Amino acid sequence: MKPKYVEELEQGFTPLTVCEEASRCLLCLDAPCSKACPAGTDPGKFIRSVRFRNFKGAAETVRENNALGAICARVCPTEKYCQLGCSRSGIDKPIDIGKIQRYITDFEESIGMDILRVENEDNGKSIGIVGSGPSALQASVELRKLGYKVVVYEKEEKLGGTLRLIPEYRLPDRIIDVEIERIKKIGVEFKTKVNVGKDISLEEIKNRHDAIIIAAGFSKGKCLDLFKNNDNVEIAFDFLKRIKECKGKEKVSNNILVIGGGDVAMDVNTTLKLLGCKNVTDVVYEEFCEFKASKKELESAQRLGVSIIDGYVPVEVNNKEVVFKHRVLDACLKIIADKIILAVGQYADVENLNLKLVKGEVNSKDVYLTDDPKVFVAGDLAHSPYDKTVVGGVRTGKEVAHLIDSKLGGKK
Amino acid sequence: MINKDLSVTFLGVKFPNPFCLSSSPVGNCYDMCKKAYETGWGGVVFKTIGPKSYFIDEVSPRFDKLNKESTPFIGFKNMEQIAEHSLEENLSDLRRLKKEFPNQVLIASIMGNDEETWEDLARKVEEAGADMIEMNLSCPQMTSHAMGSDVGTNPELCKKYCQAVKRGSSLPMMAKMTPNITDMVPVALACLEGGADGIAAINTIKSICNIDLEKKIGLPIVDGKSAISGYSGKAVKPVALRFIQQMRQDPRLKDLQISGIGGIETWEDAAEFILVGSTTLQVTTSIMQYGYRIVEDMKNGLMHYMEEQHVDSLHELIGLANKNIIPAENLNRDYIVRPTFDLDKCVNCGRCYISCYDGAHQAIVWDAEKRTPSLNKDKCVGCLLCSLVCPVGAISKGEITIKPNRKTKIEDIKL
Ligand SMILES: Cc1cc2nc3c(=O)[nH]c(=O)nc-3n(C[C@H](O)[C@H](O)[C@H](O)COP(=O)(O)OP(=O)(O)OC[C@H]3O[C@@H](n4cnc5c(N)ncnc54)[C@H](O)[C@@H]3O)c2cc1C
Ligand SMILES: Cc1cc2nc3c(=O)[nH]c(=O)nc-3n(C[C@H](O)[C@H](O)[C@H](O)COP(=O)(O)O)c2cc1C
Ligand code: SF4
Ligand code: SF4
Ligand code: SF4
Repeated sequence: MKPKYVEELEQGFTPLTVCEEASRCLLCLDAPCSKACPAGTDPGKFIRSVRFRNFKGAAETVRENNALGAICARVCPTEKYCQLGCSRSGIDKPIDIGKIQRYITDFEESIGMDILRVENEDNGKSIGIVGSGPSALQASVELRKLGYKVVVYEKEEKLGGTLRLIPEYRLPDRIIDVEIERIKKIGVEFKTKVNVGKDISLEEIKNRHDAIIIAAGFSKGKCLDLFKNNDNVEIAFDFLKRIKECKGKEKVSNNILVIGGGDVAMDVNTTLKLLGCKNVTDVVYEEFCEFKASKKELESAQRLGVSIIDGYVPVEVNNKEVVFKHRVLDACLKIIADKIILAVGQYADVENLNLKLVKGEVNSKDVYLTDDPKVFVAGDLAHSPYDKTVVGGVRTGKEVAHLIDSKLGGKK
Repeated sequence: MINKDLSVTFLGVKFPNPFCLSSSPVGNCYDMCKKAYETGWGGVVFKTIGPKSYFIDEVSPRFDKLNKESTPFIGFKNMEQIAEHSLEENLSDLRRLKKEFPNQVLIASIMGNDEETWEDLARKVEEAGADMIEMNLSCPQMTSHAMGSDVGTNPELCKKYCQAVKRGSSLPMMAKMTPNITDMVPVALACLEGGADGIAAINTIKSICNIDLEKKIGLPIVDGKSAISGYSGKAVKPVALRFIQQMRQDPRLKDLQISGIGGIETWEDAAEFILVGSTTLQVTTSIMQYGYRIVEDMKNGLMHYMEEQHVDSLHELIGLANKNIIPAENLNRDYIVRPTFDLDKCVNCGRCYISCYDGAHQAIVWDAEKRTPSLNKDKCVGCLLCSLVCPVGAISKGEITIKPNRKTKIEDIKL
């Protein structure tokens, strides 16, 4: 069957195959997979639960450690994290940890388990969070569990931040909705269509709360000077968002040029193919050996027939015509396309939020702190040791929450 | 493709190969036995035929299975009794099978409920053309206490019924034993005294396989209830091998001819049964799970094993392991063999460390940085649990130490 934009590309495990996969796990001592998960989801433990047929226990482990367990199961670049150090690789190949986690969280949802709990009584303190991406969501859960009142301010209509750009075939909107529903259930308050700095000032929300976390992420896609004011050009960020919102119900033209070689570019490539675009040509600055995109996303784009050309930089643009030069070789390339999509990075849009950015991040001496003792940062915006990924965001969310708790005096 | 003579002679009857259907639904009627013969089975023990007066009335459903991780059918439970077809139908199937497959062996399994019916059934199956008789003294789920394993645990009754069968027929005869007993020897001896020529072992083990946790009923559920009944398949192999060995190691039974049964599904299982003294082999559960075709790999694998062992007849292999399985008190307790770790093979999982700590003697030192095991010799008792849990076979027998003041010399030890 032809794959569709609105259907998950990867099939989940069945009750039989999840047990088979869990049986491959060596049940390591001091499991390397658990150590390698930035969010501390503890795969070594939840795989062992599956092996011993304790599916509910497995769900508890995932959910208590990671409020975005079902999302991470689908979008984590596991080959860089838990699966990287998997001992089973010494025999054949790593355990498919993401897919086991997906089975567990699907199971959790199917039987309607309510795992998240507020463990401490309300402590009378209140935290405001700007943005509703992964770091904000995890921080909200962490703080709520500790007894804080939490209010999340999001400028968009939908909650989830950049998650709302990850295409449906990898991360259905429904999964994001379900995860956020769980968070609402433990009492986190969400205010949408509130742009902090515009609709309400930072000062105002600082007055309302004992501390503020700015988790505004990188919410704008970059444009290159060469392509400015060109009607044939769209930014990947906007394209992906629009397509996800309309659930792929858009006709695309038949000859589209994509520029960029990261995961966002691969998402654009695959999306275009799934929407029926005949010729997708992706020209990438990096050469194949230095590609930034995850192997899995690169492979799925290639499998669908995207032409990927590596090592070229755009040098001249004339409406629909782009001329590229090879970075090393004396070679030229001219492509004329119906439309050009730029996937060349994202940046933070933090006007009126009183933040000093260094190389696009809040680069303070201590991670998560800003010049204002009442204001903290998390997620992509923070200069943390973690990758700019969903799971990296979850980790910063946990850490910033505990940092705030320690500053505000812990439980009392 | 390899071709070796797998034929054996058992109780004076020549089998083209030792593999037989054991008496059960796998040999329930003419069509099934025909297909089995055509697939290459050496013999068939037809589904147990009972007396006309005994009304067979089965439950539905009637099976259950034990799983482990992703492996189904570790063990299998059944609640079946004996043949459901009428005596006439069964006899006419026997007749037809013998006529069409004269070179393959046809064994009639019978079960009476008194001397008269045993004698009568023996006579009838001989007339129908069976080559051999198997007495079913062992079905654990008969609805009559005058039949099945209640009889098979009573040596007196067994002897009496064997004599009755021998009055009814001059065919070679084996008595099929129940494992639901501490010691099989007295029953086997009684059967031989009563005229049995050999022994078939084992029938199924009384069991409860699983309990439905919601309904609190054993499985399978029959109108809200369940019952204890026979367990078979791979899980029972160790029990079957043990009973066969125990019979063969009794001086009075050392030349006993045995048809081995219980959990056979590969050529390796078959070879093990032969090495503890079986001449023929009978199979049910693995056929129920996989079909008659499994005999192809059992036969071929056994031929390759014969080649590796440089033997031309399976008879050369029968019972070779008997003398090497001795009472625990006679084993050499003078030495310890400690493990050695092949770190090139090691995949750093730490399972050896966990098992040695939690299940043995805390003798493995774990280097958390490098994720490798090493041995603390002083603590190691040489149980070799570690080598059993290692997923890649990186742990093997290493250095031997003689305990203080013992006579054994290292060079004499056979590891
Ligand atoms: C197309 C695409 C695909 C990706 N795929 C993956 C993937 O497969 N795996 C993976 O791990 N990561 C992926 N990422 C990266 C991942 O999504 C981000 O690293 C992560 O979402 C960052 O989380 P965050 O908490 O910093 O907030 P973000 O998700 O960036 O969300 C920030 C939120 O803050 C809101 N906001 C900003 N300013 C204000 C304001 N002034 N007032 C109110 N609200 C405001 C924004 O509207 C937004 O909702 C992908 C990113 C993109 C763009
Ligand atoms: C469904 C079923 C029915 C059986 N019926 C009989 C029978 O009628 N007579 C008999 O002697 N043994 C019967 N047995 C026992 C088998 O012949 C055999 O002794 C036992 O199952 C062990 O062998 P296995 O592990 O290969 O199945 C039956 C076993 C099963 C599973
Ligand atoms: S590292 Fe791999 S083999 Fe070891 S526990 Fe984790 S998933 Fe299992
Ligand atoms: S042989 Fe036994 S005691 Fe010695 S290391 Fe192995 S498990 Fe531990
Ligand atoms: S069990 Fe085997 S593979 Fe695992 S650490 Fe020990 S020696 Fe290495």
